[in-house]
Amino acid sequence: MNGDLQLETSAVQRRQFIKASAMAAATAVASGSGDLLPILADESGGQGVDWDKAPCRFCGTGCHVQVGVQDGKVVAVAGDRNAEVNKGLLCVKGYHVGSALYGKDRLTKPLLRDGDRYREISWDEAIKTIADRIELAPERFAFYGSGQWTIPEGYAAQKFMKGGLSNNHIDPNARLCMASAVTGFLATYGVDEPAGCYDDLDECDVLIMWGNNPAEMHPVLFSRVIDRRSRGQKVTLIDIGTRRTRTTDACQHYLEMKGHGDLAIANGIAHLLIKNGTYNKQFVESFCSFKAPDDENPNLHGKAISFDDYKAFLEPYTPEHVEELSGVPADQIRLLGDLFGNPDLKITSLWCMGMNQHTRGTAINTMVHGVHLLSGHFGRPGDAPTSLTGQPSACGTVREVGTLSHALPGGRVVANEEHRQQSEEYWNVPAGRIDATPGYHTVKMWESFCTPTDQGGDIGTIWVQVTNPGQTLPNLNKLFNPKGDNKAGLEDKFLIVSDVYPTASTRLADLILPSALWVEKNGLVGNSERRTQQWFKMVDPPGDARDDCWQTIAVAHELFNRGTEGMKDRDGRFLFEVKKDGKPVPIWSWQHYYDVNVDEHLFEEYRQFTRLKHKDLAPYSEYVKARGLRWPVVEKEGEWRETHLRFSEGFDPYVAEGKGIQFYHSSTKDDRAQIWFHPWIAPAEVPDDEYPFMLCTGRVLEHWHTGTMTRRVPELSRAMPGGYLEIHADDAAEYNLANGDRVKVESRRGSLEMPVWIDGRGKPPRGTVFVPFFDETVMINDLTLDAVDPFSKQPDYKKSAVRIKKVSA
Amino acid sequence: MIASVVATLDDVDTNIKLQAVLEELRNLPCVELGDIDDAGYRIPMTIDSPAPNALEETTRRIQECHGVAFVDVVFVHFEDMSEDSVKTISGKSVRS
Repeated sequence: MNGDLQLETSAVQRRQFIKASAMAAATAVASGSGDLLPILADESGGQGVDWDKAPCRFCGTGCHVQVGVQDGKVVAVAGDRNAEVNKGLLCVKGYHVGSALYGKDRLTKPLLRDGDRYREISWDEAIKTIADRIELAPERFAFYGSGQWTIPEGYAAQKFMKGGLSNNHIDPNARLCMASAVTGFLATYGVDEPAGCYDDLDECDVLIMWGNNPAEMHPVLFSRVIDRRSRGQKVTLIDIGTRRTRTTDACQHYLEMKGHGDLAIANGIAHLLIKNGTYNKQFVESFCSFKAPDDENPNLHGKAISFDDYKAFLEPYTPEHVEELSGVPADQIRLLGDLFGNPDLKITSLWCMGMNQHTRGTAINTMVHGVHLLSGHFGRPGDAPTSLTGQPSACGTVREVGTLSHALPGGRVVANEEHRQQSEEYWNVPAGRIDATPGYHTVKMWESFCTPTDQGGDIGTIWVQVTNPGQTLPNLNKLFNPKGDNKAGLEDKFLIVSDVYPTASTRLADLILPSALWVEKNGLVGNSERRTQQWFKMVDPPGDARDDCWQTIAVAHELFNRGTEGMKDRDGRFLFEVKKDGKPVPIWSWQHYYDVNVDEHLFEEYRQFTRLKHKDLAPYSEYVKARGLRWPVVEKEGEWRETHLRFSEGFDPYVAEGKGIQFYHSSTKDDRAQIWFHPWIAPAEVPDDEYPFMLCTGRVLEHWHTGTMTRRVPELSRAMPGGYLEIHADDAAEYNLANGDRVKVESRRGSLEMPVWIDGRGKPPRGTVFVPFFDETVMINDLTLDAVDPFSKQPDYKKSAVRIKKVSA
Repeated sequence: MIASVVATLDDVDTNIKLQAVLEELRNLPCVELGDIDDAGYRIPMTIDSPAPNALEETTRRIQECHGVAFVDVVFVHFEDMSEDSVKTISGKSVRS
C-alpha cells in the first residue's frame, strides 16, 4: 500500500468511526438509555480527542455540552447525556457553539484609536491607558457588562467598582432584557428569581406562553414539552402573542393580542376567578395579601388594599371589555379563566422578553404571578410562574452577583446601610467605602455618555465587557451613535470595548481589547432555573486575547501600584490578593494568571454573600462534579442538596415545618406574597395616521443576540443571512410590496432600508411589523423607543410606531 | 461535517403513517436513519454533510417532513469546517 492510499484509507476509517459514534450517540439519546456516548468511552477510537463538560455559550437555557478538543482546538460538540436540562439534546445553534471560536476576524491585539485608524499596542499600554482614564476622573468612569459575564468576571467588576472605586456606575445589558422580571419577583415575593424550575415542564397539564417563542428562543425546553405529547401525554399549549411564530404552530390555542393586551388579559382572568368563585380562597387567605400602585409615592411596595378593593378594581375587566382592550376574543378569556379556575390542573406560565421589554413590565410580571397565586396554581411541581432569560448568566451574574447599579451581591442593595456594612466586611474594605447612592441604570448611563460634558453629561469613560451596546441599546441615534459624530461635542469621551470580534460597539471604541471566549477560559454561570454551572478552560485564546476577569484585575493592580486607596483593603493589601502556599500570586501578570484558579478564589469569596438571602451556593468543588446545581444548595447528611421548588414545604429547606407554603422574604414580613392590581394602560407609543404600524423586534432561531458570534458561522449566516421586515400579506398588498422588495422603515427616531418578507417564519397581524435585531447592517434599534418601565428602567423594544415606504422592487 | 440528530414524531398514529415518514426521511440526501426507539416516536439519524451549509438545510428539510414535530441536535464534528467568514461593517471599520 502506498503512502497516499494509506492516508486515504485512514481518513475514510476515521470518518466512518466518527459517523458511527454520531449515530450511537443519537441512538442512546433517542432511546433514553443511560449509556455513555461511545466516542467518549472508546479510548482506542477517540483518536486523541479529549472531552470535558461545559454549559453552552449561547442562551439562558443552560444546556450542557461535551466539548471535544484535539491538538489545542475544539473539533466536536455533543449534547451531554448526564445533563438534566437538555438530556443529551441541543438546538440547531449547538451545531456551531464550537466553531463560533474560530471566525477569521477574531480580535487578537489591543487596538488604540489614532485619528480614524487603529494601532496595535501592548497590553501594558492598554492597561495603563485605562488606569489613566480612571485616575483622571474616577467618578466619571462607568462599567457596562452583561449577562454573558461569568460569575467571577461580574463579581470582580462589581468589587472593583463598588468596593474599590466607591463608584456605583456599573450596570449590565440584562437591564435591557430581564430587569422587569426582577422587579416583578421582588414586588411579589420580596426576593428575586423563580420558585419553579424546568421540571415543571415535565409535570404541567397546561403550558401558557406569555409573549414568548420558546420553539425558536429556547428550543430544547420546548422540545421537552413536545416530547411529552409525542409520548401520548395530554398537555395543552397556549400561545399568547402579538404575532404567529413557530411556537404558535405547535399550540392548541393561539390568543393574538394587541400590545399591552397582556395587562387586560391578566385582569380578565382574575375578574373571572373572583366572579365565578373559582379562586383558591384557602390559599389566598393563608398566604397572600393585596397591593395596588401608590400613585403619590411610586415604589415596589405600593399600598396595601383589601380583597374587596381588589375585587372592585377588577370589576370593569369583563371578558368583553378585555376583548376591546386586548383584541383577544372574550371566549378565549373565558377559556383561560376556566383553566385557572380548575384546581385539578397543573399550570405553568413561561415568559421572556415579551413581558419584560414593556413600559409596564413590572406590572405585568406581578400580575401573572398574581393570577397563579389567586388561583392557587403555585407551589406544586407543574404549577408555577417561571420567567426565562436570554443570556447564559443573566441570573447568575446579574441577579445573584448583583451587577446592577443599585445592587450588591447576595440580594443586597447599596441604599441600605446594613447591606453596605455586610459587603464591606466580606470585602475587608474600610467602613464607608461603598457609596449609598445608586449609580446610573443603562439608559441613563449611555444618555449621560452621549451628552456633552458642559451640558451635564457626567459620564466620561465607559468600559464595555462581553456585550454590544452599539447594536442593542434602544434609540441608538440618541444613546450610542453620537459618539461617532465629530460635531456632537463628545471629544473628551472615551469608550473602551473588550470583545472577541469586531462589533457595532468596537466600531466607535477608542480602545479595543481582545477577549477570551467560552472554553478559552474558566467559567461559572447561572441559568434561568437557578442552576449554577462550571467549566474549565480547554483551549488557549488566539493571539494576545485574554480573560475579561484578568483585564479587570490588571487595571485594579495598576491603580494599586499608583497608590489608589480604593484598590487596597483594610490591611493595605491588594483588593484581589490571591495566595498560594501562603504567598501572594501575581495574578495581575498574565503569565501567572492561571498559576491558581482565580475563578475558584473569587467564587468562594462571593459564596459568603449567597447565604444572606437563602440563595446558598455549594463549594466550587461541587460544581466541578455536577452538571449544575439549583440554589439554595444546602448541606444535609454530608451531601449538598439542590432545591427544585422554592417556598414549598418538602422541597425548600428554608420553609418551616408545618407551614406548607412560606414566602420567607415577604415584603410585608408576614410570610405572605403580594397579589397586585394594576390597571390596563396603553403602550408608550401607539400607531397613528403618521406612523401607522406597530414595530416589534426580537430574535431568530439561527442567531444569538446581535449575531456577533453566530453571523461568523457561515452555515448559520447562509441559513439566515440578514435582517428583514415581516409584514402581513394584506398590508403588503396595500403597499404594493412583494417578497424581497426594499422598504424604508421610519420612526420618529430614525429610518432604515431593508427587504420585505411576506408569510415568512413569523406572521404578524395587520398593522404590525417585525424586524429581528441580529443584523448589524439593519440596525433596527436606530428606530426603537427608549421609554422605560418606571421601576425596572427596562426599555420596550416591542412597541414602536413606524411607517413604511417602498423603495425598490 | 458529520452530525447526528434526533427527530421527534407527532401525529403518527398508524404504522402506515410511520412508514411514510420514515420513507420521506430516508430519501433525504446525506441522511442515514438509525433504529426508531421502542416507543416508536424518536428517530436517531446522522447527517454526513459534504458542504458546510448543508447541515442547516438538511435539518430544515427534516423539520418540514410531515409528522416530524421537532429536531434536536445530539452530536457535531466540525473539524473540516469552512473558514470563510462573514463580512460585517464593524469588521471593515477595524481594518480601515
